[in-house]
Amino acid sequence: MKIVVAIKQVPERDAPVRIAANAKWIEERDLAWAMNEPDAYALEEALQLKEKLGGEVIVLSAGPERVGSTIREALAKGADRAIHIVCDDLAGGAGGGLRNLDALSVAKLLAAATKPESPDLVLTGLQSEDLGLGQTGVILAELLGLPHATLILHVEKTDAGIKAKRELEEGWFQSIEMPLPAVLTMQSGGTKLRYATLMGIKRAKTKELRVLNAAELSVGAPPVLVLDQIALPRKQKSTQILGGSPKEAAATLVDKLKTEARVL
Amino acid sequence: MIAFLPTLAEPHQFSLGERLVFLALAALSVYFFWRRFGPILNRIWQSKKDPDFHLRPVGRRVWDFVWEVMLQAKVIRERPLAGIAHALVFWAFCAFALVTLNHCATIFGLGFVDPAGRLGRLYFYFAAVFAVGCAVAIAGLFVRRFLVRPKWLGELSWESGLIALLIFLLMATYLAAFFVANASALRALWWAHTLTLLAFLPLIPHTKHLHLVLSPFTVFLSRGGFSRIPPLSGDEDFGLVAGKDLTRIVSLQAYSCVECGRCTEHCPANNTGKILNPKEIVLGLRGYLNEFGPGSDQLLLGKYESQEAVFACTTCGACEFQCPVGIEHVPMIVGLRRGAVNTGAWDDDHGAKFFLALERGSNALGMSAAERDKFVEKNALPIFDGTQEYCLWLGCMGGYDPRGREIVVALVRVMRHLGVTFGVLRKEKCTGDPVRRLGNDLLFQQLAEANLEALAQFKTRKIISICPHCVRTIQEDWKEFGAPPEVEHHSEFLARFASKLTPVQSQEKIVFHDPCYLGRYRGVYDQPRKIAALAGELVEAPRSRERSFCCGAGGGLAFLGEEKGERVSHVRAAELAATGAGVVAAACPFCNTMFRDALAFQASESRPGAPAPELLDIAQIAARGLPEN
Ligand code: SF4
Ligand code: SF4
Repeated sequence: MKIVVAIKQVPERDAPVRIAANAKWIEERDLAWAMNEPDAYALEEALQLKEKLGGEVIVLSAGPERVGSTIREALAKGADRAIHIVCDDLAGGAGGGLRNLDALSVAKLLAAATKPESPDLVLTGLQSEDLGLGQTGVILAELLGLPHATLILHVEKTDAGIKAKRELEEGWFQSIEMPLPAVLTMQSGGTKLRYATLMGIKRAKTKELRVLNAAELSVGAPPVLVLDQIALPRKQKSTQILGGSPKEAAATLVDKLKTEARVL
Repeated sequence: MIAFLPTLAEPHQFSLGERLVFLALAALSVYFFWRRFGPILNRIWQSKKDPDFHLRPVGRRVWDFVWEVMLQAKVIRERPLAGIAHALVFWAFCAFALVTLNHCATIFGLGFVDPAGRLGRLYFYFAAVFAVGCAVAIAGLFVRRFLVRPKWLGELSWESGLIALLIFLLMATYLAAFFVANASALRALWWAHTLTLLAFLPLIPHTKHLHLVLSPFTVFLSRGGFSRIPPLSGDEDFGLVAGKDLTRIVSLQAYSCVECGRCTEHCPANNTGKILNPKEIVLGLRGYLNEFGPGSDQLLLGKYESQEAVFACTTCGACEFQCPVGIEHVPMIVGLRRGAVNTGAWDDDHGAKFFLALERGSNALGMSAAERDKFVEKNALPIFDGTQEYCLWLGCMGGYDPRGREIVVALVRVMRHLGVTFGVLRKEKCTGDPVRRLGNDLLFQQLAEANLEALAQFKTRKIISICPHCVRTIQEDWKEFGAPPEVEHHSEFLARFASKLTPVQSQEKIVFHDPCYLGRYRGVYDQPRKIAALAGELVEAPRSRERSFCCGAGGGLAFLGEEKGERVSHVRAAELAATGAGVVAAACPFCNTMFRDALAFQASESRPGAPAPELLDIAQIAARGLPEN
């Protein structure tokens, strides 16, 4: 089975996130970067499918040069080759990466790189840990004209196509069957991730890494959605003293818990 | 006076027939010796070269040789009675070198020591004294092995009995020649001695007495440094994966083991019911070499080595410290782990989660780095900028663990009191100690490099740390990737200022637990005791200093979940509590966490009602007497 896994590089979970001076994005200097966690699960699922069925796993990532480290990590974990869509320029210079692109534009880039591969399966995380839009994978499916399913924990090959386990609310799961080729967006936690190994890193050095320039993919059309401003959530702490008799105070408390705090 | 004593008698004439028989038997003896020994030597020689081996400094090697081989110091120190008996046998062998040569030469009329001459008499008496000692010693060892039977010696082996008998015969036939005058009896004695000798030779490589030939080399050629993990070399070296990765030193050591079981006797894992047995690790490698040879691609973990055993090791180093023939177990065990982890063959839920947490985060406890920031802020710890004297290394335990933080706070109080300047790094990553010992070289390299870079930024010259694991890793293991700053453990620092510290004297007895990484690894025993003793009367646990028994946390095991069998920490805590001490003094945050739980368990389960001793780090002991703020 030929599987393309689309991954994104995001700030490391521990990274101290500061808002950049122009308030349009975060300060990227001094940040440590890591593979988006749901994408790591998508990669793991792809590697396990390959180990069972044979075939090829191709990682695909869009972003500036720094994304290379995450691509190498994916190759080290066992992907066979990689495609890096370099998109510094589109970001309007100065190491911006994807921030000036909306989900549609990113999906267009990914689709343009994926199409010539004609994979059997495209996997990606259900959302990114930084922007959390949760749309890229779905739009990608649409652009490729393939069926898709979201929130997948586990994939199995069947004669007709695949059987996938979806996560629903409150501990419910759904099992679906679908034909191939298809696009799936993966949920975290469906399987155990593997750790990176020295042997993997050494082997990765000899694997093919194709670099595509975003501008050359000529996907046209400027973003339809523009990130205008970002801000840290305002922390609010307020104290109210409820007056009146204990009985009245209790009644007000219940009322406030219901209407203001909405915990009842 | 010597003139009145009997003279060693030798037969005078040998017939040609006798000479031919002797030559034939000697040839046979050498043949059987070499038929076994040759291939062993070949397997050692065909093993991979040790990439980091240097003969220099030769002085150290010579010293080790004299101390451990010639003087048998290690053999005697760790098991005095059996050790002295062994030394007597060994010294007799040395004294006998000339006796034996001369003995064989006499058949051709070429004897070169005249038993009647002044020097000859002197020498033969000298040898006779050793012969008596040896005969008594070997008889004693025989009784020990076959009647007393300490369990560490393992199964009874007929070989040992036979060897003991032969050695005894050698000595007896030598000594008897002083008292026999009858010519034919003398001839019979000569032949008895000769035949014993010729039977002994081929037995050497066929039994564990191979150490007679190999162990002097093993001691002389040891890797050097205690429990030193050798660097990997080249793009295809992932540790001990298969036979092709076994180096000459490893193979030489594998063939040198005398199966004395000292390593196993002191192994905390083996003593608490884990399947790890350090002796079997060594013998496993030997078995592998015998079957597959040094160039093989057959995996080492399998028929001869067990993965579960290898990952049960706390890297406490007790085995390596005890081994009388200089076998270095920790590099072997860590080497096998490296082979499994660096190739991804080790599949362990806890292990994988732990590695992933360190791949993405900064600390071994898997917490957010913001937690460390909060701790630093709350305690107003200055940020290191290169102007302070010390960079105070918090480590994962000091930065994130509540008990570890208490130790840091105590140390900080003392440093402030002493007017010593210090600062903490704004960002710090795990030193990589647990991943290093678990065999994850990729992760270790990443952590070491990131930290070295952070330290170089401020031209750090001196580091102080509350954790012996951090100290060891920074000082020794980081060397592979750069030049680490000087680092010291807080016990060394505090001991220097002991005269300025006056902690509250309590009436209590204090027992100090030697952390493996401070004691055996660093040789620091007295400094922490000096601090502990400031606060009360110091008592010693039955196993202390070099023989200290591990707390069970080392080697990354603190992060691998529940142990099988009894807990190492419980055994040690019981031993410490049994000294009757009111205070258990620790000098390592890992020991501290392990004992906190174990002492509580002690108090609630095994000795209900008895109050658990108080557990304090030496920094806390030092800080107790300081004026409040
Ligand atoms: S290092 Fe310690 S735990 Fe490991 S084998 Fe040796 S004695 Fe046992
Ligand atoms: S490894 Fe050393 S201590 Fe252990 S049994 Fe062999 S010789 Fe004895």
